[in-house]
Amino acid sequence: MPRERSDRRGAKGEGRAPRRRGMGRRKVCRFCADKSMLIDYKDARVLGSFLSERGKIIPGRITGTCSRHQRQLTVAIKQARTVALLPYTTAYP
Amino acid sequence: MADRRYETLVLIHPDQGEPGVKELAARIQKLIEEQGGTVSQVQEWGVRDLAHPIAKQRRAFYVLFEYRAAPKGLDEVQRTLKLMDPVLRFVSVRRPEGAPPAPPRPAKRERERDEADFEGGEFEGMGEGEV
Repeated sequence: MPRERSDRRGAKGEGRAPRRRGMGRRKVCRFCADKSMLIDYKDARVLGSFLSERGKIIPGRITGTCSRHQRQLTVAIKQARTVALLPYTTAYP
Repeated sequence: MADRRYETLVLIHPDQGEPGVKELAARIQKLIEEQGGTVSQVQEWGVRDLAHPIAKQRRAFYVLFEYRAAPKGLDEVQRTLKLMDPVLRFVSVRRPEGAPPAPPRPAKRERERDEADFEGGEFEGMGEGEV
């Protein structure tokens, strides 16, 4: 599963602490922490930060997004892809 | 049936040119109003680079419509948009009643960042092939 590992490393590169048993910083959902932050399919900048380098949606367990917001996030990302605000993948001909 | 809040983002073929886009936007607004809708806002984002090609185009003119309409009216608007040749693609979304109106967007280009993304992607794609 080299692909999955490289994705995970990408997420950590954004300043996430690696998971440690027992102690370590708990990840908090960004949308819960900041209520003014709305999930909007038009906001490619925010949504893009939840994509891997290859354009895949990063799982909530890695970004710390709660399941409720992760559900809203995936829908928004897919809407944004429809209107080409976000990529489905990298490397287009 | 009660009216609902919707917004539709339309991608228009770049060959239309500025006057063609303006005319088409006016036509779409009229179309919404003919279906009993009331348009509250029309935003022209200008020509933007697409994150992936659509209909062999790499860029498109984005126009956002905010309006209230009945669900039946939305159906008809969507049906007609599909028939319009210069419309590359569109997405319609229902907005909650209490949501603030879409903030105006400066027609900003993110070319540099997009190009950087593209190159990075190619590089990673090659690396992946070896693994």
